[in-house]
Amino acid sequence: MDEWQFFQSQVFPSLMKGFKVSISLILPSAFLGVCIGIWAGSMRVYGSTWLRKLVDAYVAIFRGTPLVVQLFFWYFGLPHVGIYLSPFAASVVGFSLCSGAYQSEYVRGALLSIKKGQMLAAQALGFSKWQMLRSVILPQALRRALPGCGNEIIYLIKYSSLAYMVTCIEMTGEAKILASHYFKYTEVFLAVGAFYLVLVSLAGWFLHHLEGRLSIPGFEHHGK
Amino acid sequence: MENDPILRIEDIKKAYRAREILKGISLSISKGELKVLIGPSGGGKSTLLQCINFLVMPDGGDVWLEGRKVNPHRKRELYGYRQQVGMIFQDFNLFDHLSALQNVQIALLRVKGMDKKSARERAVAELERVGLGKHIDHYPAQLSGGQKQRVSIARALAMDPKVMLLDEPTSALDPELIGEVLAVIKNLVANGMTMIMATHQISFSSAFATEIIFMEDGLIVEQGPPSKILSSAECARTKEFCSKIYDLHGEGN
Ligand SMILES: Nc1ncnc2c1ncn2[C@@H]1O[C@H](COP(=O)(O)OP(=O)(O)OP(=O)(O)O)[C@@H](O)[C@H]1O
Ligand SMILES: [Mg+2]
Repeated sequence: MDEWQFFQSQVFPSLMKGFKVSISLILPSAFLGVCIGIWAGSMRVYGSTWLRKLVDAYVAIFRGTPLVVQLFFWYFGLPHVGIYLSPFAASVVGFSLCSGAYQSEYVRGALLSIKKGQMLAAQALGFSKWQMLRSVILPQALRRALPGCGNEIIYLIKYSSLAYMVTCIEMTGEAKILASHYFKYTEVFLAVGAFYLVLVSLAGWFLHHLEGRLSIPGFEHHGK
Repeated sequence: MENDPILRIEDIKKAYRAREILKGISLSISKGELKVLIGPSGGGKSTLLQCINFLVMPDGGDVWLEGRKVNPHRKRELYGYRQQVGMIFQDFNLFDHLSALQNVQIALLRVKGMDKKSARERAVAELERVGLGKHIDHYPAQLSGGQKQRVSIARALAMDPKVMLLDEPTSALDPELIGEVLAVIKNLVANGMTMIMATHQISFSSAFATEIIFMEDGLIVEQGPPSKILSSAECARTKEFCSKIYDLHGEGN
């Protein structure tokens, strides 16, 4: 009973507070990550040579270095050149750019899987390159990329827990403070784990629903 | 001015690396004509058709539409030109994520900037014209090969092309589906559409072509009315090829 009291009066309120911060980190980062991913993926396939190289370099750097290092760079590194980001802003910037790099991989793969014939057909109808990308290629590629992109969003939910490393106190941060204060690591982190599990399950359900909504004959995913 | 060519190409050349695929092709076509391209596989028919609307950029040569030379390096001009030249592909190339109706109306909306209502009306009319009025909401995955090809023809027609280029429109089809597509093309001929078509449908060509052009190794070997090319070709290679496709496709169209 003692445990339950502790949970109700201490753990739950702090975790809820952190939960709100986590959500406010995840939603914009996931959205920006997808946007960056679509743009970067498109540029890596259809951009001019120098742009392609530039974006390839971006992806190589953000996929090739630990996210914590990136977060440190945004929060502790940028002030050296006179740019000060709040812990929250640094986290969102870090997550979006890292997520965008991964998303661009899924988008790029999906773009490359679109049959070339459809592009010829679009061009033959007088579509410009940009109109073709928007009306013919992306709508198909994004459907193909959706499972991968969804997976990346689920990863993002979990790695959002790194924000506390740059003093943005979200759910994991709250838990850490609480646990070390009362010295109840097991209980508190089990509770945090459950919170993430709920979040991830919700996101999974939403993505599955979205896939169903966007499904078109001929675009069903295997196993349906 | 009846006989002024609608489309004229002059000395079109194309090479991939050192291999010359088109070695200087010239031809012209007037309103209402159907010119059929025949020739052995690898002879350059598809490459020529794609050079005509610059899906493949020729290395040299010029294209004239209604007496005006096309400059493919000016994007606006190129897109405008392509809207006037319809293209039909061997494997249909429908947009897989769009229904038959959407396939036909998308270019009307996005390229021609038509309003939704007129685009829809036009698309429905074109689909009805190719006999697909009942299938407008079907997706490509739900259509047979013959139906897909008819959608692609409707999609091209909706743009009001001045010329159509058809690259073996029936050769990816099962034999029992070829007839329905040829019937649509016959209809186009009857309505005065100007067309250049690569095909091995010999009996169809002999009945409807204004001229048959025999192409081999990137060159036009011989051209003339079907009666001449098919029965009394001057060139030995043309004769040999024609007798071969007669054996293969001659009967049962
Ligand atoms: N993108 C390319 N790169 C290199 N070679 C090519 C390319 N496209 C076509 N070719 C070559 O050009 C030659 C002519 O091809 P094309 O498709 O125009 O012939 P075709 O007359 O249409 O033949 P088919 O009857 O088989 O359709 C072929 O040998 C082909 O291998
Ligand atoms: Mg061909």
